[in-house]
Amino acid sequence: MNRKYFLLLACSAGLFSGCQKADETPAAGAAGKSRGLIGVSLLTLDNPFFKVIGDTISSEGAKLGYQAVVVSGDKDVAKQGNQIKDFIVKKVSAIVLSPCDSKSIIPVIQEANAAGIPVFTVDIPCNEPGVKIVTQVATDNYGGGKEAGRAMIEALGEAGGKIAVLHLKQAESCLLRVKGFTEVIAEHNAAGKGMVEIVTELESGGAKDLGYKAAEDAVQAHPDLRGIFAINDPAALGARAALEKAGKAEQIRIVGFDGQPEGKQAIKDGRIYADPIQFPEKMGVQIVDAIVRHSKGETLPAQMLIPTTLYRQADALKDPSLK
Amino acid sequence: MKSILQKAAANYGMIGVLLLLCVYFSAMTYTDQSPAGAAGAKQVAAELARLGGAPQVLLVSSDQPEDLEFVTSLAKELPASGSRVVAAARGEPQVAREALQKLAAAGTRLDAIACTQTAGAWLLFADLAVDFPELGSPRLITPRSYRWPNFLKAENLLNIANQIAVIAIMAIGMTLVIVTGGIDLSVGSLLALSAVLAARFIRDEAGGVAASPMGMILACLGAVGACGLVGAFSGWMITRFRIPPFIVTLAMMLVGSGCAFILADGQSIYQLPDSFIWLGRGVCFGGVPNAVVLMFLLYGLAHLVMSRMKAGRYLYAVGGNSEAARLSGVPLTRVLMGAYIVSALLAGLGGVIMASQLKSGSATYGNMYELYVIAAVVVGGTSLSGGEGKMSGTLVGAFTIAVIQNGMNLRNVESYTQKVVLGLVILGAVLFDKMRHRA
Repeated sequence: MNRKYFLLLACSAGLFSGCQKADETPAAGAAGKSRGLIGVSLLTLDNPFFKVIGDTISSEGAKLGYQAVVVSGDKDVAKQGNQIKDFIVKKVSAIVLSPCDSKSIIPVIQEANAAGIPVFTVDIPCNEPGVKIVTQVATDNYGGGKEAGRAMIEALGEAGGKIAVLHLKQAESCLLRVKGFTEVIAEHNAAGKGMVEIVTELESGGAKDLGYKAAEDAVQAHPDLRGIFAINDPAALGARAALEKAGKAEQIRIVGFDGQPEGKQAIKDGRIYADPIQFPEKMGVQIVDAIVRHSKGETLPAQMLIPTTLYRQADALKDPSLK
Repeated sequence: MKSILQKAAANYGMIGVLLLLCVYFSAMTYTDQSPAGAAGAKQVAAELARLGGAPQVLLVSSDQPEDLEFVTSLAKELPASGSRVVAAARGEPQVAREALQKLAAAGTRLDAIACTQTAGAWLLFADLAVDFPELGSPRLITPRSYRWPNFLKAENLLNIANQIAVIAIMAIGMTLVIVTGGIDLSVGSLLALSAVLAARFIRDEAGGVAASPMGMILACLGAVGACGLVGAFSGWMITRFRIPPFIVTLAMMLVGSGCAFILADGQSIYQLPDSFIWLGRGVCFGGVPNAVVLMFLLYGLAHLVMSRMKAGRYLYAVGGNSEAARLSGVPLTRVLMGAYIVSALLAGLGGVIMASQLKSGSATYGNMYELYVIAAVVVGGTSLSGGEGKMSGTLVGAFTIAVIQNGMNLRNVESYTQKVVLGLVILGAVLFDKMRHRA
């Protein structure tokens, strides 16, 4: 019997030694010595957008001699809180996070502030009183919304027509997108040619299934609908599926947002008209740059916005990342 | 000799595993630490004295209390060793840069920069010769580091206890339920429901940010009580209609979570007074968090009930053989109802603690907690078929899970790998337990 214990212990020892990789390679960067650790806790790593941000921080940090630890908060603020507390114990040089809940994370950020560790936010802000955030790196959602508006006008052409907006109202970023979008549409209408009318604004949850339902309802209510603006790719793809089912795919043009691989592919296939695309790589690079500049004692703006670029079928056909 | 070892393994097997884990993570997180406060200051002062001459020194530190102590004690030590402090910068790297700029503009010669280890790593000082040639070539002096495991820092050990307190407290109730041969899947949702209810009661009834302590206590009791009612309902369905506990509590898990989302309106409720964090983040003697003290008190109480009181013996009897227990006069319905009510009450208490830790209530709390709670109980050696299990075992089980999670975070193990490891460890622990029993 005793031999069995040893076997079990040996197995578990092997199990643990399997996960040592991260620490064993001391970051030897440009300067030749380690600058320290960057603790990164993102909203989720299921979404390719955040995965790319995390990976870029790791690779970009390594170039400058930082070692990054990227963990997923899994949209669970208590879990994210524990991750940050562990970062504090480890005395990391900087903490990067996209809060799972901007309100509930406050006490944890305050703990990091009290420990003298600079905190940076990426994508999701935490603009609450009583917390000290060095800087916030995010997409220029307002500008992106304007681009989406221009794309919609272009898609509808001179005839104009009725359009629907698939919203995600809980998200600050989506409010900004829709604000930019409606402003451009209003400006266009003021010129008086090819009027574009927003007839309905539906909740899409930013997800495929809900986007599908919302688009179905919109088409039922407005059979002469000509366009849909969805605040992200999943909602846009869900809407497209509904239009295909209803046989209205040719009549109604979709403008999405994000530029995730699946969305780009849909643009290439002509299923989505265009996307203002975000640049998660640039956000990762910007964050690392901000950490370095802060450590050098430079003053940083409270917010660093990364502009979007409009991505149409012509761009997709040239895109080497799509097969 | 062999039989003593076997006896020890049978009684303290899981503690042994827990200790092994601690030793393992201590060895693996053995890293450089920097002395802070007065001790660090002494070292730096000695180093400066060795420089000789009358060095002109700039003091740099962050503005956290430990570092301020470093600076003040250093400022006291230095004049004795002949050094002269020309400036002091406290705060962000930016403050230090401004101080350097000022010194450079004034044409002051700088011989040394004395700073804490953290500040010493700032990139600001890496390019000093390029950015501030006017200052000469000041030496950067930081306290010399010593080696000690990150895992074994007092701060981290308290961290572990604090992180697991909520799950450990819920695991007490779960142990009672599992000892009777049942299961309670609703605890995670009840935690969320209680957090939302407590936050809402405080915001809407007790006066929001201006709520009085009494109001907050009543709000929390109300939230915990509401969870108790849900537990009573589950118990009633199980005992009166003989619906399997798995199904009843699965249904209550959905109901509870849904109610929490409805009551919170999908938002987090944060209009709470600052003093609300007393329970979750306050500390008492020796810096031990209040939640941890509460956890140990509850475990002590639960241990007494299980080992010394009639209620405990009834629970084991019901779990061992409910028919035999009923025939020998054990009040079956009351015992089962009691177990589910206590489990729900403790889940409610967990919710209040979590709301206090995060100073807000949200329906997203407690997601998957039921599984962690069950894991803690099972790792602690309680049999899922009922009739067997100890409170002390559950506590050890909860700590085992916490140590693994914390240790992996400290070892920079990526989150997906963490899930795999945690799952395998739970399996391994139960396997170990089974083999021990056969031995």
